[in-house]
Amino acid sequence: MKILVAVKQVAALDEDFALRDDGRNVDPDFLIRDLNEWDDFSLEEAVKMKEAASQPVEVVAVSVGSGEVDESLRKCLAKGADRAVRIWDPAIEDSDSIAIARVLAAAARREAPDMMFAGVQSSDQSFASTGIAAAAFLGWPHAAVVSHLSYSPGATRAVLRRELEGGLLHEVEIQCPAVLTIQLGINTPRYASLRSIKQAAAKPIEVLSLADIGLGADEVGVAGSLSRVRRMYVPDRGRAQLIEGDAAQQAARLAEIIREFKGAAS
Amino acid sequence: MSRTDAVTRILFEAFGAAEVRIFYLIGYAAIAVFFYGVYVQVRKYRRGAALVLDGGLWPRFGAMLSSLLSHRTIERRDRAAGAAHRLIFYGFMLLFAGTATITLQYDILEPLFGIRFWHGEFYLVFSLILDVAGVALIAGLLYMMYRRGWLELPKLDYARPDREPGDPDFNRPQYRREDWAFLWLLLIIACTGYVLEAARLVWLQDRAGVWDTRWWSPVGALLAQGMRALGLDAGSAGLLRHGLWWFHGLIALLLIALIPYTKVKHVFTSAASLMVRDPLAAQRLARIPESQPQPGAAKITDFNWKQLLNLDACTKCGRCHEACPARAVGAPLSPRDVILSLREFAQATLESGAIPAAAELDVHGKAPGQVAMETLWSCRTCMACVEICPVAVEHVPIIVQMRRKLVEDGAMDPLLTKTLQTIHKTGNSFGESKRKRGAWSKALPFPVKDARKQPVDVLWFVGDYASFDPRNQKVSQLFASLLHEAGVDFGILFDGESNAGNDVRRVGEEGLYEVLAQANVNALAGASFKSVVTTDPHSYNTIRNEYPDFGGKYEIEHYTTLAKRLFAEGRLQVTKPLKYRVTFHDPCHLGRFNKGYDSPRELLALLGCELIEMGRCRANSFCCGAGGGRIWVPDPVGAEKPAQNRMREAAAIPGLEVYVVSCPKDLTMFEDALKTTGNEGKFVVKELIELIREAVPARRGDAVPA
Repeated sequence: MKILVAVKQVAALDEDFALRDDGRNVDPDFLIRDLNEWDDFSLEEAVKMKEAASQPVEVVAVSVGSGEVDESLRKCLAKGADRAVRIWDPAIEDSDSIAIARVLAAAARREAPDMMFAGVQSSDQSFASTGIAAAAFLGWPHAAVVSHLSYSPGATRAVLRRELEGGLLHEVEIQCPAVLTIQLGINTPRYASLRSIKQAAAKPIEVLSLADIGLGADEVGVAGSLSRVRRMYVPDRGRAQLIEGDAAQQAARLAEIIREFKGAAS
Repeated sequence: MSRTDAVTRILFEAFGAAEVRIFYLIGYAAIAVFFYGVYVQVRKYRRGAALVLDGGLWPRFGAMLSSLLSHRTIERRDRAAGAAHRLIFYGFMLLFAGTATITLQYDILEPLFGIRFWHGEFYLVFSLILDVAGVALIAGLLYMMYRRGWLELPKLDYARPDREPGDPDFNRPQYRREDWAFLWLLLIIACTGYVLEAARLVWLQDRAGVWDTRWWSPVGALLAQGMRALGLDAGSAGLLRHGLWWFHGLIALLLIALIPYTKVKHVFTSAASLMVRDPLAAQRLARIPESQPQPGAAKITDFNWKQLLNLDACTKCGRCHEACPARAVGAPLSPRDVILSLREFAQATLESGAIPAAAELDVHGKAPGQVAMETLWSCRTCMACVEICPVAVEHVPIIVQMRRKLVEDGAMDPLLTKTLQTIHKTGNSFGESKRKRGAWSKALPFPVKDARKQPVDVLWFVGDYASFDPRNQKVSQLFASLLHEAGVDFGILFDGESNAGNDVRRVGEEGLYEVLAQANVNALAGASFKSVVTTDPHSYNTIRNEYPDFGGKYEIEHYTTLAKRLFAEGRLQVTKPLKYRVTFHDPCHLGRFNKGYDSPRELLALLGCELIEMGRCRANSFCCGAGGGRIWVPDPVGAEKPAQNRMREAAAIPGLEVYVVSCPKDLTMFEDALKTTGNEGKFVVKELIELIREAVPARRGDAVPA
C-alpha cells in the first residue's frame, strides 16, 4: 500500500525585501523557506494512516524543485515519510501550477500509489489548483478542502468530509485512488525534532529528471503553463489617518479633506 | 585477673556456650541478609546506563566527608532539624564505632593475635563517651518525633500535587509508617541499651571492677541507682539483663539486616550521592551520546547508575518540595515526588532477578511510579531543588532527560512546538527576521561596532529578549550608552548572533540546542574580542558553562560585574545618588546557577539605594516562572503564576519603591505580574541598568532618545 504526498517548499517574506530585477518575483535573497503549512497536515494524515494500518504502508513525499527543496523533504522524512522524491529540471523553472501538476501527475503514474494527498493550497502562491489539476491529468477522482478522512489504505473507497461555506460540511464517498487536498486542522502535525531531521539527512532523496517521468521539456516551464506572471508589485498604501482634536476641530479637518477630494476630482 | 583487666565490658558472662553460638548464628544471618540486600541494590544501579565520572575518587570522598561531618547541607533552611540530625548522626556513629571496636577485639584481634585493649582506662573513657553519645542520639530522636508528630510541617506532608486524593500513590501512608518505625526502632535500641547497662550494674554490684567504675557510665549508673532504690536485687537484675541483652541484641541485628531494604539505607546512599555530586548538574546539562539510539529517558534503565543512586539517596526531607516555584503555585509538580515516583518505579522493576520487558520499564505516564508529562512540563529548571538538596539529588537533569523524550514524541504544548520551529527557522524566539537583531542599536546617537567586522575589547552577546522585546530594547540602549560613556570598546554580532539556546536545551530540544550553540560558537570564532559580556543571565549561563563542550571557551561575565569594575575604575561615577528603597530579585541563572549574588547588591549600594531583602533571596530566590522554556508556554488561566506569587512577597515590604531585576525575562515577567497583582502605582519594576543610568546621568548629546 502506498500514499503519495505532494509537498511544496514555500517562501515567506523577510522583514524588508526587494523584487527581482525582472519585477516578476521577489529577490530570493529575501525569502525564508519552509515546508508549506498545509503539507504539514497532509503528510501527518498519511503518516497517521501508516501508523494505524495493519498492513505495511509506504508514505512517499514528492516535491518539484531544485536542491534547496531537500531541506523540506528531509523534514518529511523526519516526520515519518519512508521515501522522498524530488523532480527537477531547469526547464521546469517558471512553471505555473498546471505545469507543476503535470509533473506531479507523471510522478504519481510512476509511483502508482493507492491515494495521493496534497495541501489545499500553498501559502506563498495560493493557486489552490495544483492538487486538483494533478487529479485531472491522472484522470482520478478528487476532493478538495478535506477536513476529515476515513480511509484504510488499500480500500477501494474512502469517506471524507469537506468544508463548505457557511459552516456546512459535505460528506463524500470517493473511489480510490483519488487525489485529496487536505485542509488545515484535520489533525495535529507532529513536531520534527532537530535530531530526527538530522537522522533523516542520512536517508537518500531520489532525484528524478523529466526524462525519468516521461515528460518533455515543452510540457513544463513557460511552454507547458496556461498562465504567466506579468508583474509583481506592492500597491500604493491606503491613506487612512486618525483625525485628532475636539469635535469642532475634527469636523473642520474632515470638511477640509472632503474639499481636497472634490477638488482633486474636478 | 589484674585490676585493669577486670574493668572491662561484660559481654557473654552467664551465657551458655550454646546460647552464644545461637547469637552468633543469628548475627551471621543478619549480616548475610544485609549483604544480600546490598547486592540487590548495587545490581539495581548497575542496570542503569553507563556513566564515567570525572575527577578523582579521593577529592570526591573528601568533599562528601566534609559535607557529612559538618552537616552543612543538612542544616540549611532547617537549623533545628540539622542539629537534631547531627545529634543522631554523631550519637549513632559513636555507638556503632563502640560496638565495632568490641567486635574488633573480641572476634578478631584477641582470638587471632591475642591483642586486648578493651579494658582499663581506655574502656572507661569510651564507656563515658558512649553514654553521652546515647543521650545525644535519644535527644535527636525525640526532637525528630516531636517534629513529625506535632510541628505539622508542610514539607513533611507526603500528599502529592501531581495526584488526586484517592489515587493509590496520593499520600503514601507507608512512608509515614516507615518514618515512625525507624524512629521508634532507634529509640528502643538506645533506651534498652541504657536499661541493659543499668541492669548489668545492679546484677554485678558486688564486683568492684564493675560497681566502683559505674559513674563512667553516668546514665546507666543513675538508672541503676533508681533500680536499686526500687528494690531490684542482683538476682532479678541478672535475669532482666539476660532478657534485655537478647532483646537489645536482636533488634540491633534486625536494624542491620533491614538497612538495604528500608529508608535506613540512606546512611549509605546519601553519602554515596554526595560523593558523586556534580557541582554543575543543572548549569551544564549532559550531551546525548552519539551511540544512544533514542534521546532522553523513556525507560527507567535510560537513567544512569548515578541517577538511580540519586533516587535512593532522597530522604524525603521536603526541602525541594518547599523551594519549588511550580509547587508553590499549585502546579502538578513536586521535585520530591518526581524522585520518589521514579524510586518506587526502579524498586518495582529493577530489584527482581531479571529485568522485565521493555514495555514495563516506561517511566512516562500516569500509573503509580510513572511521571506525567504535565508534571515534567511544569518545571522551570530554576535549580531551586538541586541547590537545596542536602544529599546532592540532581532533579533538573533527570527532568530534562525525560523532557527530551517528550520533545522527540512531540508531546508538548502546541505553542512550545511553534516556538521551537520558529527558533529553528529564524534563530530567535520572536519569529523576527535575523536582520532585525541589531536594529535596537540604530536609535543610539553613536554607532555600535559590528564585532564581526572590526576587533573589539568586549563582545556583547545580547540575547533574544534584550534584542527583540521593545521594553528590553530600551534597557539595551541604556547599557550601550553606559558602555560608550565609560569608554569601553565593545561590539555586537548583529545578525550573526542566534538565540543562545539555554532555554531550548532546558526544554529538552537537544538537537536544536546543538544547532544554536554551534552557530554561536562559529559566529564568535569569526569575531575578534578579549571577553564577552551579556545582560542576559540565561545566555550567560549557557555560554559560560555549556559552550565549552562545543569548543567555545571564553572569558564571560554578566554585566553586573563589568559595571562594578567600571565604577571601581572611576570610568562611571554616581553623580546623582538614588535614595530609593529597593528590593532585589536574584535571577536564577545569575544567582543560583552562577553564584552572582554580590555584584548587583554592591551596585545598588553604590547607587545609594536602600536594599530591603525579600525573605526568599540569594540561593533561595523564587523563580519568575520563565525558565526552562516556560516563558513560551502560557500558564494555566486562573491559577497564580510564580511571578505573581513573588510580587505579593515584594509588596509586603513597607515603602518599597523599586523592585530591581537584572535579567530581561524578569523584566517582562514582573512588569506583567505587577499589573495583574494590582500593585501598579505602588512600586515599579526596573532593570538595574535603568537605575545605574539614572544615577549616572548621560552627558549632553549622549542621551538615548526616549
